[in-house]
Amino acid sequence: MPLSTLTGVRFAGMATCVPKRVLSNLEDCRPQIRSERARLVRNIGIEYRRICQEWQCFSDLAFVAAEALLERLQWRREEIEALVVVTQSPDYPIPATAIILQDRLRLSHTTVAFDVNLGCSGYPFGINILGSMIAAGGVRKGLLLVGDRCASLNDPIFSDAGTATALEFDPAAPPMRFDLNSDGSGYKAIILPAGGHREPINLHHLIPYREDENDRWHYKTDLQLDGPAVLGFSTQRVPPAVERLLEYANTAKEDVDYFVFHQANRMINETIRKKLGLPEAKVPSTLRDFGNTSGASLPVTMTARIHTELEQGKKRLLLSGFGIGLSWGSLLLELENAVFPAMIEA
Amino acid sequence: MNTIEQFIENFLNACDFEDPVEATAETELQSLPQWDSLAKLAVIVLFDTEYGKTITGEDLKNAVTVGDIFRLLGE
Repeated sequence: MPLSTLTGVRFAGMATCVPKRVLSNLEDCRPQIRSERARLVRNIGIEYRRICQEWQCFSDLAFVAAEALLERLQWRREEIEALVVVTQSPDYPIPATAIILQDRLRLSHTTVAFDVNLGCSGYPFGINILGSMIAAGGVRKGLLLVGDRCASLNDPIFSDAGTATALEFDPAAPPMRFDLNSDGSGYKAIILPAGGHREPINLHHLIPYREDENDRWHYKTDLQLDGPAVLGFSTQRVPPAVERLLEYANTAKEDVDYFVFHQANRMINETIRKKLGLPEAKVPSTLRDFGNTSGASLPVTMTARIHTELEQGKKRLLLSGFGIGLSWGSLLLELENAVFPAMIEA
Repeated sequence: MNTIEQFIENFLNACDFEDPVEATAETELQSLPQWDSLAKLAVIVLFDTEYGKTITGEDLKNAVTVGDIFRLLGE
């Protein structure tokens, strides 16, 4: 399903919650690697990150975001008929976090609730899944919760966030247009290799197997990321996919108010922006302050940078997520009268 | 026309080494102070944005000298 259109689905609003705890890539590291960190921060563009408290899960952030959004929208809980959670950091391996949240959010037992296992690309896919349920006529109002708990002290890239988006049935809503893609041949490019059925956790996984250039030991229970492969994938696949979606929607770049990309790192994001020939003013970024928040990065960037603009008049946005899978998806969206509360900290 | 001198200047700018580095076509990559994952990413981006050419991490792994990387431009 590379290109498709959904009609009758209104984007009603979005809220974003990040942990209070701030990490500085320049200061929160061993003194020996501080000068190297300055070079790293210059190039990946990530200076600050948010990290959960020990007890905090992604779902705790998403819960706060969902409560704030429901309050602002004045939606009644019993009206919500679907709850879709897109995360790779569930509360437990099983059951699904969405079902736990159905209860925590006091939604009715007739709510459809399930998890979707997607990471950095997940937001457009999540909108498509929930939007399709609404367009099909079975669901009138639904919530999409997207995000991850992926920050760690050692890794300078990832940052935590939880987000909530509200969609509802509205025959007069402008169409949403999608371009959604997958390439599983690249599954090793970003992988947490141990802990599933291919490689169950065993004693030897508790022993580090590789020391990197910064004297840091890696475990097979850590996320493994093939930098050049991810960079090549992102900068080769995303720009043509965006062009294709614009062409399908018969929309010129000039007619799009904002292009919001997954916040991967500055090198990747700047290459994509330059290849598409987009001015910086139309491409908001939160890399410096919020790092790479996985699937939450599109909502984080919309909330942190343009939430007041998005509440004023009609706005056309192109959202594009890409990463682990490999998976990449874009969404062309028209917003009017949607609510965007300011960033929430928890 | 891409000269090796011009390329080396772009290459060193992209790698953003902390201390000034002199390099020629014969300079071995492993002798550079920070020929690390960050530098490699920067060189892949340089090829893409400055020269409109796609190279992979594998291409860089196979390169021994700065000149080997320069020659990837011509392939």
